[in-house]
Amino acid sequence: MPLDTSTYALAHLRLDGRRWNELRHLHAQISTQASSDGSSYLEQGNTKILCTVSGPQEQRRNAPGGRQQQAGAGSDTEAQIVVEMNLAAFSSTDRKKRARSDKRVQEMQFTIAEAFRGTLFTNLYPHSTITITLHVLSQDGSLLTACLNAATLALVDAGIPMSDYVSAVTVASAPSSDQSLDEVDPLLDLNGLEEQELPFMTVGTTAAGTGEGVEGEAKIMVLVMETKVQMGRLEAMLSVGVDGCRRVRGLLDDVVRTQGRRVMENKIS
Amino acid sequence: MPREAEPSTNEQAFLLSALRENIRLDSRAFDAFRPIDLSFPGGPDEYGTAEVRIGKTRVLAKISAEVVAPYADRKFEGVFTIACELSPMGSAAFEVGRQDQSEILLSRLLEKTIRRSGALDTESLCIVAGSKCFHIRADIHVLDHDGNLMDASCLALVAALMHFRRPDVEIHGEEVTVFDVRERDPVRLAMQHQPFCVTTSYYDGGAIMLQDATLLEEQCRDGEIVISMNRFGEVCSIAKYGGTPVDGLSMLTCTNVALEKVKMLDKLVKDSLAADEKRRDAGGLMAELSAENDR
Repeated sequence: MPLDTSTYALAHLRLDGRRWNELRHLHAQISTQASSDGSSYLEQGNTKILCTVSGPQEQRRNAPGGRQQQAGAGSDTEAQIVVEMNLAAFSSTDRKKRARSDKRVQEMQFTIAEAFRGTLFTNLYPHSTITITLHVLSQDGSLLTACLNAATLALVDAGIPMSDYVSAVTVASAPSSDQSLDEVDPLLDLNGLEEQELPFMTVGTTAAGTGEGVEGEAKIMVLVMETKVQMGRLEAMLSVGVDGCRRVRGLLDDVVRTQGRRVMENKIS
Repeated sequence: MPREAEPSTNEQAFLLSALRENIRLDSRAFDAFRPIDLSFPGGPDEYGTAEVRIGKTRVLAKISAEVVAPYADRKFEGVFTIACELSPMGSAAFEVGRQDQSEILLSRLLEKTIRRSGALDTESLCIVAGSKCFHIRADIHVLDHDGNLMDASCLALVAALMHFRRPDVEIHGEEVTVFDVRERDPVRLAMQHQPFCVTTSYYDGGAIMLQDATLLEEQCRDGEIVISMNRFGEVCSIAKYGGTPVDGLSMLTCTNVALEKVKMLDKLVKDSLAADEKRRDAGGLMAELSAENDR
């Protein structure tokens, strides 16, 4: 629907006035909560996430269910990462109280925990737990994306050593009944309406492990796609996605540096 | 709280050094599957059970149907649910009743692959819009876990769905008659396409990629990528949850290998179904008319 309207062919503008490779307005702040070790607030368009991080702290005995098979469990040699996502009932268009054991939410929690297990230096904190709590205040597409970005900022704020940021973005494949493969533009950063209509994927990248630091080529940490797409489209979607992640990483980095500058100015003055 | 026994450092090091020399412990090619055995146990009139063995991994899928009222917001569609059962029979690490991470992931991935991609046409399950529809329930039981549960479960589920016959239905105005299997021949389910899962395990940050990992290979891997697609090259789902980061080119290579494997699996299912059909339908009319008894 966002693209079936005849106006797309003429002006190539999406319903919210963006072109295919434009990100939504990303606004973020860190150190928003003085009481937690690390906190951040991130807005990507209308998707608003509040994230707090506590840790590393003493290991939680018998975390819900006492399962040893939690993501990030390796208590003898590394810290355990626990992610809790809380979708507010008012976050979507219809007010809906979510059950705790919603599988979709659990899957997202697992994805986020695994993504950070690869970048955080958990081996420095054995027998500890790092808890990431995400509060979703408003959902308008790209939920997993915004959660990963918000969690990255909060972890940086908490001062937990990591090899690189994890930045994420969503990419969709525009429907084309009459266009050839080459003319299809992958769309970057989807809002809620586009997510419902188009097949899309969430890509999260990090430069971790390349050994070349920031300038090294970003590698894919997270890739989740739940809708049907023709194989041939994947290459374009992935390259647009990885590039989008690079841009998001730049924006997140700016936020961190701004905060750093502010802290330094306060100390000096 | 049972915990899976981790492989010893020796075993891990041996496996990794062998992989770096292009050797798998069971001498398979990196993209070769173990011998797959697909069978449809059950009597001549029992449809919808499929048992898959990939090497030592054994998964059983059973499909059942009953008539229920459809969801209020989906009046024209039937109901299709998938339930996964990881019992201690499959592995000492599984617990009864408790839903742990691997079970949740397995059921989520199966749901995405088969339900969300519309493999089963739920509209064909509708009997009377708004009041009666079929509820197709798929139960997956893991009998033995030796790696690659994902692929085996998906294969078993799709094969079982293609094998299953639901009771025939006749509607006269407001009256609905659901015929028993003995009264009328049951009817196949309408499947739009057949998706299969291919799991790729990778080591050394994507430098080494292999398909169909055994349990030991799974425990030593850096991460996995699960790709579900059908034989037409439509990718139904890709899942890479963390693990070591991998570059985009390797992901695309994975997808290409997955397509080959999916075509192989698709052919396997079709051949097995055809063989099973022949076995059940021995003789047909002439067999019924014959007065010969078994002695």
